[in-house]
Order: sequence, then structure tokens, then C-alpha cells
Amino acid sequence: MLAEAAWFMPLSVRARMRHEVVYQMFLTGIKSLGVITVVAMFTGMILALQTGLELRRFGQEVNIGTAVTVVMMREMGPFMTGLIIAASVGSAVAAQIGTMVVSEEIAALEIMSINPVRFLVTPRLIALAMMMPILTIYTNILGVVGGAIVGYTQLGVSLTAYFDNAIRYAENKDLYVGLFKAFVFGVIITTVACHQGFNASEGAVGVGRATRRTVIISFLTILVVGYVITRMFYV
Amino acid sequence: MIRFEKVSKRFGRKVVLDGVDMEIKDGETFVIVGSSGAGKSVTLKHMVRLLTPDSGRVIIGDDVVSEARGSRLEAIRLRFGYLFQGSALLQWLPVGENVALPLREKTDMDDEAIGVQVVEKLKLVGLEDAVAKYPSDLSGGMRKRVGLARAIVTKPEIILYDEPTSGLDPVTSRSIDRLIDSMRRELGVTSIVVTHDLHSALAIGSRIAMLHEGRIVEISTPEEFIRSSNEVIQDFLEAQYITTRGAWEKAVPS
Repeated sequence: MLAEAAWFMPLSVRARMRHEVVYQMFLTGIKSLGVITVVAMFTGMILALQTGLELRRFGQEVNIGTAVTVVMMREMGPFMTGLIIAASVGSAVAAQIGTMVVSEEIAALEIMSINPVRFLVTPRLIALAMMMPILTIYTNILGVVGGAIVGYTQLGVSLTAYFDNAIRYAENKDLYVGLFKAFVFGVIITTVACHQGFNASEGAVGVGRATRRTVIISFLTILVVGYVITRMFYV
Repeated sequence: MIRFEKVSKRFGRKVVLDGVDMEIKDGETFVIVGSSGAGKSVTLKHMVRLLTPDSGRVIIGDDVVSEARGSRLEAIRLRFGYLFQGSALLQWLPVGENVALPLREKTDMDDEAIGVQVVEKLKLVGLEDAVAKYPSDLSGGMRKRVGLARAIVTKPEIILYDEPTSGLDPVTSRSIDRLIDSMRRELGVTSIVVTHDLHSALAIGSRIAMLHEGRIVEISTPEEFIRSSNEVIQDFLEAQYITTRGAWEKAVPS
């Protein structure tokens, strides 16, 4: 299915599919901003507090800027974004496609000679593969800002020192690898969600099962693939 | 012409179709009746290859649909319109866009021409005011009529109706019957209707096929069907209180 969806990608230049891609980007991106904002801020704040308290024992709390930024860019940014999108967007996609299967809407598309993969999967695949890196950048920024707030208010680290350290020690590679992970997670979530949706059966129970499986399989795959990518680039 | 040649289909251990042989002529309204689970919808789905027979062949004109793939299958399917039991409208699209969908996806028509076609077909089913409404805002009967408008918007040669009157009140059911009959008379299409509503079958059918336990037990005109001595048909007629002439004749569309 992934190969078939990718095969239809050149058609995204057509106005109709372009419109659908933009709409899906809005659904996956803009509509997820609220929850991502809260999760990203608190992820950065927790990271800053935990590492800051340990570093303070060695008088190194000034380095929390580096710790938070590197961890957010390499791991936590794409990871947390992936989990949120899998739970919110992935489950919604599986439920929508699953419902379409059980209510014969997919069969109706087939009879109209409209390829369901091109019509449903390709726009979602493009949208999520593009939005995941963008959302991850947003998560990274908010995480770093959250860390700065905790550093300044709880640990007495000045904002100048925090951001100086954050910029000095973070590498471009950290950003690129993180964004690459986000892109791969986007592909994983769409593929799992659409696959589960298309294989839904037995009415509402089947749709519920597809939704649950989407979240579980996406979470596990994100964990494993995240580790593999880290190992590829850093070991 | 549509021909079934010894078509058999089983799901697990259950044999749903058991060597079905039948022939449907161009321009007729062919009704398949039978009790629930008799294999009526399965028969219909074989005609557009939503299902593939375990053995036997389904032939549409010169094409063996049960063996067609890729662009050949796509071309065969474009000859069909299909009204689903639950209408199968895309819930997130308004009525107008649902009807326009096959034209937008499969033709090069511009928006204006598509709009004209959509309004024309919605007018035909009496729903020209519902263009901007969503399927969830419509009653069951209205959804079926929108489904019918979508099925005919590409001007298909053959329209398949899967339980077009199920779940509808008698008045709405008869209006759907009249629509099906007008499709045949005004558009000259071949109609294949699957139903367990005998009133509807007798009213609109050119010929009626009785499907029982995966086999066609009789194919006959409505007049012959109601007088059939076949026990299965007699039981079916009696179960729907159709035991005398006259009751069904009143339902024939004028």
C-alpha cells in the first residue's frame, strides 16, 4: 500500500489532490497544535528540572540549555510529536477509513473506478510526511523555551546563559537527524493507520479494533525505528 | 448482456452461490429475490467484481469480468452505476460533491459542466434543493435518492440496485420503485435489482429470479412468477401476503 500511495504522489500537483493535501495538512497540523504546545512545553520543563537538579549538585546547572536542546532535537521532539500524532491523527484516520469500509464507501469508490489508495492514502501520506518535521520544529522550540522558563525561575540560570549554551553545543546534525526521524514517523503513522482502516471488518467493533491497533502498532514502531535511526547516526 | 456461467462462491464452509446460471438481457429490469442471506447481494457484487467467483464466469458483453484486471476492469466498472443498500455516500462531502465525484475523478469536465449535470440528476430524483446538504442531514429515502443520482450521473449502461427499498416506509418505497422504472424507460438502462420486497419486484421487474440456497430456482415474468407452482416461491409470496392477483398490480407504476 505504501508503494502504491507513493506511486500516485506525482498526481499531487493536480489542483484537486493539492487541495486535499493542504486540507489534510491543516487537519494534522493546525488542529494538533493545542495538545502539542502543552506537551512540548512540559517536556522541556520536566527535562530542565530533572537535569538541572542533578547538574546543580556539580555546580553545572548553567549547562541545562545544552542538555534540553540536544535531547529535544535528537529524541524528545520527534518522539513526543510522533506519539501525539499517532494517538490523535493516526487513530482518526484508521477510524475514518474503517468506517468507510464497513459502510461500503470504499466499495463505492472502487465501482466508480476511483482508486481508494490514491484518493485516501496518498494525500494523507504527503500531508503527514510534510507536517511531522514542521510540527517537530515547533515542539523543539517550545521544549527549549519551556526549559528556559524552568531554568530561569527554578534554577537561577539566566536566559542569556541558557540560550548561549543551547546554541553553542547543539549541532546541525542533531536537527537533521531529528527531522529525518519525524519524517519517517509520519510515514509509519499514515501507513499503519490506513492499513488498519482498510482491514477493518465486523462493523463498529472492527473500527474500534482498527483504531486501537493503530495506536499500539504506531507507538511500538516509533520506539523501535527511533532507536534504529539513532544507532545509525550516532554509533 | 450479462451472463453467469455456473458461478459458485463460498465463505468459509458456507456455500453462498452454488452454480448460478442466468442471463440478463439489455434494457430489461431483472429482479433477484430471495430471503435474507440467500446470496442476492453477493450475486450483484460479482457483476462488478467486488467479489470473484471460486468457480464459473461472469460475462458482461464480450468481457469476462470475473477475470478482468487493471484498466480493463476499470473500463468495465465505468459501464455500471451501483446503488448500495446503505447508499455509501461519502459522509464528509455535501450531496452535490457526492454526485459530482465520479465526474470530477474520471472525466475532464469543467466545474460548470459538472454543476449542470449534478443539478440535472438531482432534479431527476427530486432533490435539487439538497445540493449543499450533508448526507447526515438527509433521511434514509433521501440518501438512497442521492445514491441513485450519483449512480446515474456518468450515464451508465447498467444500474445495480442493492435492496433499494429496505428500511423505507411503503410510500417512499413506491417512489423509489417509480424512479427505478423511470430510469429504464427514460434512460434505457439495464437494471438489476436485488430485493426481498416482492411488491417492489412485481411492480418494476421485467423478469424475476428466485434465489434460494445459492441456486436460481426460477426465472419468470411477474405474471408467471405469481402463478408459479414452485413451493419456495409460493412460500415467499404467502409470507408477504401476496396470494391473489390484484394486490401487486395496483403497485405497478403508471
